[in-house]
Amino acid sequence: MKVYIPDDSAAVSMGANRVAAAFATQPGIQVVRTSSRGAFFLEPLVEVDTPTGRAAYPNVTPASVPGLLRKKPTPISRIPFLAKQTRYTFANAGVTEPLSVEQYGFAALARAREMTPQQILDEVKKANLRGRGGAAFPAGVKWQTTADAPGQPKYIVANADEGDAGTYSDRMILEGDPYRLIEGMRIAGLAVGARQGFIYLRSEYPAALKKIRAAIARATEFGILGQDIFDLQVVVGAGAYICGEETALLESIEGKRGMVRFKPPFPAVEGLWGKPTVINNVITFATIPDIILRGAAWHASLGTATSKGTMPLQLAGQIRYAGLVEVPFGVTLEDVIYDFGGGLPRGCRFKAVQVGGPLGSIFPKNLLNTPICFDAFARAGGILGHGGIVVYDDQTDLVALARHLMEFTAAESCGKCTPCRIGSTRAKEILEAILDGDGTDADIALLNELGDTMKLGSLCALGGLAPMPVLTAMQYFGKEFRRRT
Amino acid sequence: MKIILNGRPIEAQPGQTIWNAARLAGVTIPSLCASPNLKPYGSCRLCLCEVDGQRGYPASCTTPVREGMVVRTDSAKLNQLRRNIIELYLSEQPEDALHASEQLRAYASQFGLQNIRYRRPKRRQYAVDSSNPFFSFDPNKCIACARCVRACDEIQGTFAIAMFGRGFESTVVAGNQVGFAASNCVSCGACVKECPTDALFEKAVAEFGKPDYVTRTTCAYCGVGCNFDVGMRGGRIVSMRPVDASPVNWGHACVKGRFGWDYIYSNERLRKPLQRVGDRWIEIEWDAAFAHIVDAFRRVKEQFGPDALAAVSSSRGTNEENYLMQKFMRATIGSNNVDNCARVCHSATVSGMMEVFGTWAATNSLTDIEQTKLLMVIGANPTEGHPVTGARIKRAIRRGAKLIVIDPRKIELCRYATLHLQLKPGTNVALFNGLAHVVVTEGLADRQFIAERTENYDAWWEVVQHYTPERVAEITGVPADLIRQAARLYATSGASMCAHGLGMTEHKYGSYGVMALCNLAILTGNVGRPGTGINPLRGQNNVQGSCDVGSLPIYFNAYQKLDDPLVREKFERITGRPLPQKKGWKTPEMWDAALAGKLRAMWIMGYDVAQTDPNLLKVRAALAKLEFLVVTDLFFNETCKYAHLVLPAASFVEKDGTFTNGERRIQRIRKVIEPLHGIIPDAEQILRVSAGLGYPMRYTHISEVMDEIAQLTPTMAGVCYDKLDDRFGLQWPVPARDHAGTGIMHTQQFPRGKAKFSAAEYLPPGETPTNDYPFTLVTGRVLHHYNCGAQTRHSKLLDFVNRDILEIHATDASELGITDGETVNVTSARATVQLPAVLSDRVPPGQLFTTFHFPDNNLNTLLSSSADVLSSCPEYKVLTVRVEKIAAKKRRASAVRARVLV
Repeated sequence: MKVYIPDDSAAVSMGANRVAAAFATQPGIQVVRTSSRGAFFLEPLVEVDTPTGRAAYPNVTPASVPGLLRKKPTPISRIPFLAKQTRYTFANAGVTEPLSVEQYGFAALARAREMTPQQILDEVKKANLRGRGGAAFPAGVKWQTTADAPGQPKYIVANADEGDAGTYSDRMILEGDPYRLIEGMRIAGLAVGARQGFIYLRSEYPAALKKIRAAIARATEFGILGQDIFDLQVVVGAGAYICGEETALLESIEGKRGMVRFKPPFPAVEGLWGKPTVINNVITFATIPDIILRGAAWHASLGTATSKGTMPLQLAGQIRYAGLVEVPFGVTLEDVIYDFGGGLPRGCRFKAVQVGGPLGSIFPKNLLNTPICFDAFARAGGILGHGGIVVYDDQTDLVALARHLMEFTAAESCGKCTPCRIGSTRAKEILEAILDGDGTDADIALLNELGDTMKLGSLCALGGLAPMPVLTAMQYFGKEFRRRT
Repeated sequence: MKIILNGRPIEAQPGQTIWNAARLAGVTIPSLCASPNLKPYGSCRLCLCEVDGQRGYPASCTTPVREGMVVRTDSAKLNQLRRNIIELYLSEQPEDALHASEQLRAYASQFGLQNIRYRRPKRRQYAVDSSNPFFSFDPNKCIACARCVRACDEIQGTFAIAMFGRGFESTVVAGNQVGFAASNCVSCGACVKECPTDALFEKAVAEFGKPDYVTRTTCAYCGVGCNFDVGMRGGRIVSMRPVDASPVNWGHACVKGRFGWDYIYSNERLRKPLQRVGDRWIEIEWDAAFAHIVDAFRRVKEQFGPDALAAVSSSRGTNEENYLMQKFMRATIGSNNVDNCARVCHSATVSGMMEVFGTWAATNSLTDIEQTKLLMVIGANPTEGHPVTGARIKRAIRRGAKLIVIDPRKIELCRYATLHLQLKPGTNVALFNGLAHVVVTEGLADRQFIAERTENYDAWWEVVQHYTPERVAEITGVPADLIRQAARLYATSGASMCAHGLGMTEHKYGSYGVMALCNLAILTGNVGRPGTGINPLRGQNNVQGSCDVGSLPIYFNAYQKLDDPLVREKFERITGRPLPQKKGWKTPEMWDAALAGKLRAMWIMGYDVAQTDPNLLKVRAALAKLEFLVVTDLFFNETCKYAHLVLPAASFVEKDGTFTNGERRIQRIRKVIEPLHGIIPDAEQILRVSAGLGYPMRYTHISEVMDEIAQLTPTMAGVCYDKLDDRFGLQWPVPARDHAGTGIMHTQQFPRGKAKFSAAEYLPPGETPTNDYPFTLVTGRVLHHYNCGAQTRHSKLLDFVNRDILEIHATDASELGITDGETVNVTSARATVQLPAVLSDRVPPGQLFTTFHFPDNNLNTLLSSSADVLSSCPEYKVLTVRVEKIAAKKRRASAVRARVLV
């Protein structure tokens, strides 16, 4: 009998390996290591086949393994957290074995090979796929630019430097469905005429590194990758958040310090080693196979007027059901937190939510009706970013949180532009003074003005967005700041 | 295209940034990190602007212009942002308000910054790095804009400094955080020039203050001829800043030109004429000195005839001085015994190029390096000998040009070279014949060029057909495959340019080597077009000009023949005296003549023959035999020791005149200070002696000497000071007053009509290794010193290198039991000298390298008198020696400062 146990890092951290070891000693059991479905609050989630599909045992411990299978499992379709999701990009999550080429199939690549490069480009453009890394730039436009740009060779780069605290969707693809990324990059290569690709992976993902390397090796054996076909390499970062910024990432691949480049020229025209380069987030590439297989119209049918398709949101913080939620754009933030996330843990009261990582705005309760949509978030003064959602309860000291986030920026600033290099340290100092009860009204005014200077004057999004959590926290929770002065 | 800047239409070029377009239109947009000399960067954010139809505040220094773009660079909001940025800058600098640089303070007041609102800001706290002798680095003043780092990368190409640390901790470090002096910094000063906040600051400026005004002049070091603005403060020179607009050095400099001018104020400068009295030297008045010279010259001339006198003028002197010296010898004394130090460097270039092209100078310009597709650098070490050209070559390589280095030694450029042909010293002729052989046999020759522009091909091929790559490999030690690859690259690049140095000329068959190289150029049509040609890198600042103006024993100006009646008539019309017809002695012949008692009196100006000529024991014996020797120099040099009278010379900042650089560019030098110590400048010394001998030459200004040169010199007919003053000099030929000069020669035809293929057989050098003398010693230069070191040894440049060293391969050293730094005996058939050995893989086993900058080694006593068979250029580059350990107690102990730059 087959038992499916995830080998995803989050599942492993919850004890999945120990559970697998416990099953391995059971007679007649074949342990199959799959990816995780992303319902981390249920991990280790052990699944078995039933006539009506997979069914699962949640929160399995090694001690509970003997005799577990005699109990009745819960069909996956009956787990609301999973059943309500719209899984496309993460359709394989928790289902397949990550390194099985046979299970993955590469059907989209086969389809793409029958298309002309321009047909692929047109399909991606018609799908209106916007980048999932945070900037939400239309991928098709980017690809077309690279395809049309003079200069050879061209490169495909996947940004797998997933540095936002509380995000893990890239990691889940890398560990759980690596061929989806490879296929997406491979199709991008066909579309723009590139024969070389790089995956820039953060060093904090050792399991993902092992998986993606193994996947590249397998794909090479199957003739999907190769020096004469599409050469794909993994470059591991050195722990700098700024290298998630696309131009700093390119510098890092080139072997230089991770320093931001100014734009234009955009990487699509002058990217890696000055050559036209498609650089997209892992999820963006992972969305491509479905667009090719199901068609642009399918993709464009999902979501809001300007944000099409689905978005994998990653719930964290003070939330009952932490995990990956793939939903079509348009669902409200409130639905995501309360419907999917189950609201806050018992006894906790909602205070604020930060969407989009450490640079995302702090939203109060009255903005929870904001739909998951790039433009709706922008209008509300925030960012959707890479889809990280961190919920804070009423015990949270927002001044301390603001200081913490600014300290993060100060530590991660590349140091190239003045507003970010000096400004982040100054903002942190002011917040420290306020936190120490030493702040003044003038400090708050100065913090606002400094935030404005950083927002308007910085070279890249790190410096430009860094003040947003502080500015929005002061905007919505101004009393907390003033009370301290 | 046009853009609207602050409501006013201005002209802009596609690809320009807003900041640059504005700058060229005369609108200064505030900025600290942008520089016209560097690629856009976008650090300081002061240049933010508003663009119609564009969100936010883009940085004008990185935003490209678009047709019709509407840009505002001034608004209340922009002013506020700028004020806040300056506030941030000032908040991180040490508390002392005066500590902040002028530029930051100026911006603070411009943007209305009253006070810094940050109450307890963390500040920069770094130690000041004063290790470099010429500039200091105060990281507390640094604003982390990386202009210095970018200058080092983009302009100099040394990559000695880098940004270190992230965010607030970002700062500049030299090398691996070792400080400037210990890093691989070459002290070119590019970083210092770019620094917007004086964090990098010249020590001389710190000591004497920033310049009140500047005067344009030309560097007096190597033949690149960089343009500088001499900065003056209170009558003293405080800085030399390279000129951005100069086509010669595009705002760049090297350590010698930029900082090594401090010898001007050296206490060791000669101040008064010195007369030898027995074993002593006594100071005498100038009038007495001239009277003494006049008496001595008159006496020798009357007793032994005019040919018992000779003069050697200086390639470091001006065109005017050299012209006057030859005029003095010919018209006043009546002898053609005049030569200059070009004899010992590029005379073989002249004889070789004369034969093939009928000319005697670089065919192309330094700016051609920007256009060439392939550079072939032969027997030259530009990153040390001609550093600004070296940096330019490195830049060309970074933009994609290919490089072939032909040199026995692994010089710095080898790192960037596509191919390095490491030939045995003295085998140039064979190598170039071999390259030509490949070109012909592989069908890569430019048949049309050969047919239309050349002659004598068949006779040449008769000889060269025997130089198969395999045979040449045997002679030169360069693998046949490399020879083939090099020939293909050179012949097929589309524009191949040769630059050569003394590794081509200072050989027994140096002239033939140059011919073989020129043959290769005409064989492939690589002459007369942009980015091509044969381009000797001239060693001294005025090697080109000193010959152009006739300071040569067998030619008048511009190599006009002594026995051409029309030429003679022209010259005699000017001199008003009949001129001698008998050819004079070349410098080496002068030594023979002195030893034979035929030459009895000499005037040697700015040329330390007793240190730099070969076979020094012979030279010194010849000097000692002279009845009367007068030496004019800045310092009391080795030759002075044999003089009867020594005259102080004026340095290049103490006189007006012109130098002609290696690309034939005649450039002005200008008097910026009165000659120190009341020194009478060299040109006037000649005039005073000439007048004393009854032939007064009357000029009211030195420019009139150039006017006279122009009358007599067809290639310089259109040259005059007015024209030189209003541009960056003039490149001859300048046949007429309305002519703008010539950047590329031979575009239509050669001076001799068609270029002549000139065959040369390979013959072995004067000396080949034997059991007694198994090593081949090559001499050359290092970055921090210049030739005999007359100037550089009286500069803080000594802090970098204070003596010559012997580079020896580790294999040889270990066989001889020599350790790194150990002083060894180097012995030739002539003499023995002692040098500290430094293990280096720049030389292959069996070869040695040393420099000749320091007289106490007596290095050139090792050399024979062997010289180029055509030009008498000494065979400095091939000398066989043996190396021996010295018994421990006999070793000299001294602190050695030396750098092997690779």
